[in-house]
Amino acid sequence: MKLVQLSRTEHGHLRINPALALSVAANVHLVPLTLSEIRTVASQFPVFLAKDGETGQFYPCALMGLEPHENLYWTGSALDADHIPLNLLRLPFFIGGADPAQAAICLDEHSPGVDANGPCAILEPDGSDTGYITTIHGILDRLAAGKAPTRGFVDRVVGLGLARETKLDVRFDNGTGAVLNGLYAIDETALGRQVAAVTDFDDVMVLAAMALSLAHVGGLVRRKNRRIEADAQWLGAAA
Amino acid sequence: MTQAVKSVCIVGGGSAGWLTAGLIAARHRGAPGGEHCLSITLVESVERGAIGVGEGTWPTMRQTLRKIGISETDFIRACHASFKQGAKFVGWRTGDPDDFYYHPLVLPEGFPDLDLAPHWHDSGTSSFSDTVCFQEFLCENGLAPKLITSPEYGGIANYAYHLDAGQLGKLLRDHCVGKLGVRHLDDEIVRVEQADNGDVTAVVGLRRGPIKADLFIDCSGFSSLLLGQTLGVPFVDCSDVLFIDRALAVQVPYDGPDSPIVSHTVSTAQKHGWIWDIGLQSRRGVGYVWSSRHAGADRVADELAAYVGPAFADLNPREIAIRSGHRACFWKNNVVAVGLAAGFLEPLEASALVLVELSADYIATAMPATRHAMDIVARRFNAMTRYRWDRIIEFLKLHYMLSEREDTAFWRDNRDPDTIPQNLCDQLELWRHHPPGEHDFASANEMFPAASYQYVLYGMGFRTEPLRRPTADERHAAQDAFARTTATKRKLAAMPTNRALLDKLAQYRFQPI
Repeated sequence: MKLVQLSRTEHGHLRINPALALSVAANVHLVPLTLSEIRTVASQFPVFLAKDGETGQFYPCALMGLEPHENLYWTGSALDADHIPLNLLRLPFFIGGADPAQAAICLDEHSPGVDANGPCAILEPDGSDTGYITTIHGILDRLAAGKAPTRGFVDRVVGLGLARETKLDVRFDNGTGAVLNGLYAIDETALGRQVAAVTDFDDVMVLAAMALSLAHVGGLVRRKNRRIEADAQWLGAAA
Repeated sequence: MTQAVKSVCIVGGGSAGWLTAGLIAARHRGAPGGEHCLSITLVESVERGAIGVGEGTWPTMRQTLRKIGISETDFIRACHASFKQGAKFVGWRTGDPDDFYYHPLVLPEGFPDLDLAPHWHDSGTSSFSDTVCFQEFLCENGLAPKLITSPEYGGIANYAYHLDAGQLGKLLRDHCVGKLGVRHLDDEIVRVEQADNGDVTAVVGLRRGPIKADLFIDCSGFSSLLLGQTLGVPFVDCSDVLFIDRALAVQVPYDGPDSPIVSHTVSTAQKHGWIWDIGLQSRRGVGYVWSSRHAGADRVADELAAYVGPAFADLNPREIAIRSGHRACFWKNNVVAVGLAAGFLEPLEASALVLVELSADYIATAMPATRHAMDIVARRFNAMTRYRWDRIIEFLKLHYMLSEREDTAFWRDNRDPDTIPQNLCDQLELWRHHPPGEHDFASANEMFPAASYQYVLYGMGFRTEPLRRPTADERHAAQDAFARTTATKRKLAAMPTNRALLDKLAQYRFQPI
């Protein structure tokens, strides 16, 4: 990865292939979410809290695989999902700098999405922004503006004791299994006890969506079983 | 005698007073106006200040602070604390340059179901502690016992703290007064009033006059104002076993902001005692404890200067007199002593604060409902606490009596059989053929597990000659355990350094879960 600040003169001529940019998600099992998208994303993926390895702080995330570096929604060329989290949609662009007000847009120059044959341009021939880059601006603005509310939400959840460490211990059809640690789910019993203390109705809806989203773990297991079966067939054919 | 116990007065602040106040208040603050609701007052002379010894804790401090309701991040920041993963004893056995062993806080692999003591000699390499436990590896590499993602008070390796005791007192005071409803009075006690049966009815403050209570907790330090001076409970001197009676302490600044913070206490044997070296976030606490019967302060200061190096010239060493021993009993009438008022021993195994925690926790848990019940609780407390002091004294003596050092009278005298408690002699006789095991420590009030005795015994070169050869199954289980220890070390090589984690903690917090 090589992040550089986006500039009209340096990068205006580049073309982007968003589908290829998304290919980095093939190795990602946890995708960070911003508060405003949790309800939507939770309709499709299990949503947990996890801890950032560098800072130890909780963040909400969508679970896409059952072991690190596994994404069961990645088909080899696309992400098989109706709702793609903003942190994947923005690729290959990033927000640089710690202060959202001063945020600079950065480009990963080494991203496979930087592609001379890509369908999206950054600038129109007349030098104005394309619809594509305007959309990217909107996504990055939403992510930057969502940092503080997301932080506040996480602090309220942890402060009220609504999260509980959840060890995913799943079995597959071929007899193997996987154990995934470091995920924290909404504890419905604790939520029931503390519901009067959750004063913001939006919080209630987000918490309910997160709690219900655990049902999607079953979908991940089904995807994993299909992948194992496909691998076995491929290996059988190769032999 | 059926009068209900409704008020507690703690005399003296400092770590002992405020830890006691915190543990009792956290347990008893309950619903206001409840039948057994306790009012808790702590009176101290703020001017007089605390002694501030004992900058090393046991892992018990994690549970204690959690009970009191203080977050680990706040505690570490306020007390400039760092993580402690045991003690490294340097030069205790022979005094040779490569002479050291560890007493880590993690039990030997598989202990107590699996006892590696009969097998470690066969493993061929390294020391007992390094063979049976991964923690020496963390210590020797300056690595932390946990990650920034570890929850508060939880870790990957067992750990305790090095802390600034003065700051701990302040943190606890603010918490006890602000959050737990403890009443704090700044006053100088000028007189103690007693009933006919000897019970203390009030301590009389210079400014506030009589402060009455049903139970008084004496945390007045070495002066032992209530238990010793008022109730006349005699002091049991144990300098015949433990010779240390002086300390010369300095605070040593780090070379720079990136200097490593050592993740264990270093106890280095000297000619007439030993030097403690404790790494806080902001500085090192270093001190020489010695026996004044064996050496004068000037000779000791030279050794301390040599240990600290050129920085010593700019430091102001502080000499502290230590009286090794404890009161004949700890709870008499309606007075119970906690901390230095109960007794003191050299800080070799950081036993001061843990005794405060255990005593205060017992008082909080067994808080007598009536004055009549108090006598029963007192009898139990005295038996339990005396047992603990005796075990600590024996364990400390073990460190000295196994030494092979011949260089000074201090070390030779420590091996004099007349100075060794009989119970310790008995244990050693048994350990010649059986490694220390749980069967040797059957009380619910043990201070040190059998594993601690193993670490010191085999670290000091003691040999146990087992009565029988291990079976093939036992040998295989031991080999597997050694392999697991090696694998764990490999896995933990990526742990952050103690300094890196503490620096990170200045910016981020441990999460509660």
